[in-house]
Amino acid sequence: MARRALVVLTAAVVLSSILRADEPKKRVSDFTLEDYKGEKHSLSDYKSSKAIVLMFIATQCPISNSYNERMVELYKDYSSKGVTFVGINSNKQESAEEVQNHSKEHGFKFVVLKDWNNVVADTLEASVTPEIYVLNSQREVLYHGRIDDSSRENRVTSKDLRAALDRILAGKTVEVTETKAFGCSIKRIK
Amino acid sequence: MLNQTNQVVAKASSLIVVLLAVFFGAACRGTNDRGGQAEKVRAESPAKAGFSVEPIDQAGLKRLIGERSGKVLLLNIWATWCEPCIAEFPDLKKLSQTYDTAAVEVVAISADYPDEVDTKIMPFLRKTDVPFRVFVAQFEHPEDFINAVNRSWSGALPASLIYDSRGKERFFHVGQQSFDDFKREINKVKGGL
Repeated sequence: MARRALVVLTAAVVLSSILRADEPKKRVSDFTLEDYKGEKHSLSDYKSSKAIVLMFIATQCPISNSYNERMVELYKDYSSKGVTFVGINSNKQESAEEVQNHSKEHGFKFVVLKDWNNVVADTLEASVTPEIYVLNSQREVLYHGRIDDSSRENRVTSKDLRAALDRILAGKTVEVTETKAFGCSIKRIK
Repeated sequence: MLNQTNQVVAKASSLIVVLLAVFFGAACRGTNDRGGQAEKVRAESPAKAGFSVEPIDQAGLKRLIGERSGKVLLLNIWATWCEPCIAEFPDLKKLSQTYDTAAVEVVAISADYPDEVDTKIMPFLRKTDVPFRVFVAQFEHPEDFINAVNRSWSGALPASLIYDSRGKERFFHVGQQSFDDFKREINKVKGGL
């Protein structure tokens, strides 16, 4: 009796772990936003990318700004490997002109899209800047959370976004799929 | 006989003086020691000398929440770089002045870095003249702080929590709240006991 119960329990544990592994990933609906030049960009434009990194960023948030150089480095290290980087500005008070000036000033080579009315932030439930979503070409979320674990670069002990991208590029499953992003709240329209 | 009586009275008086001194000494120490760091005697206004922003770690946070002494706690998590947090401060100030401090305590924890107390936190507190205790989070990483406050918290600021007089979390909200919203929730917690 006890043995049977143990077998059933073991089977249940094994089954639940299989189910977890096969759990469908959150899929993001395609969206189109304009960059600061008024050019339209859709998620479906990046079908051939090995990974799409959506970065909710801000022009005025000190925490987001503390990551400007790190974002430039990430772009430099991974864009040549087939990773697409897309900045998204969902803050209602930051204009397209401000976004453009900010991008130029900090040498961003990736597009920064203006999410008027924070539609995309709402869809993804993004709440702070900086906050990252890494998608595959089927627009499934493979990683969500922070870039790393400290706004002060010399205190970083866990480079979570890089770790996720390295796993994806190596054809492996991302180990840590969810971390907590810390930064300024996205200022939404009411 | 008279001498003997005088001696007894004198001895008894000395004993009373000693006992009173011991009693009051203990009482005074008791006041100062109660709650350790969390209950440290300090000036009520950041404009006055003696007002300080002490670092708070995981143990300190637990102590702050646990040692309620019958008071409801409104705990606000903020940062000087967080605009809605700054906008919320006048209402927090008003709340702390609305309730009897023996019934409701307002405490804020800044998510700035501990080495930014003099450069960022204190200048803001002086300007706002906050009448309540303010700490600065001292955690290795932001996620440690986030999880210590509430595991379900995303980390977005401001975040406010209300603990009942037994230290049980009864309310958690992310985002700026108005004076009336806070008051309604505090009254619910106060009335629910």
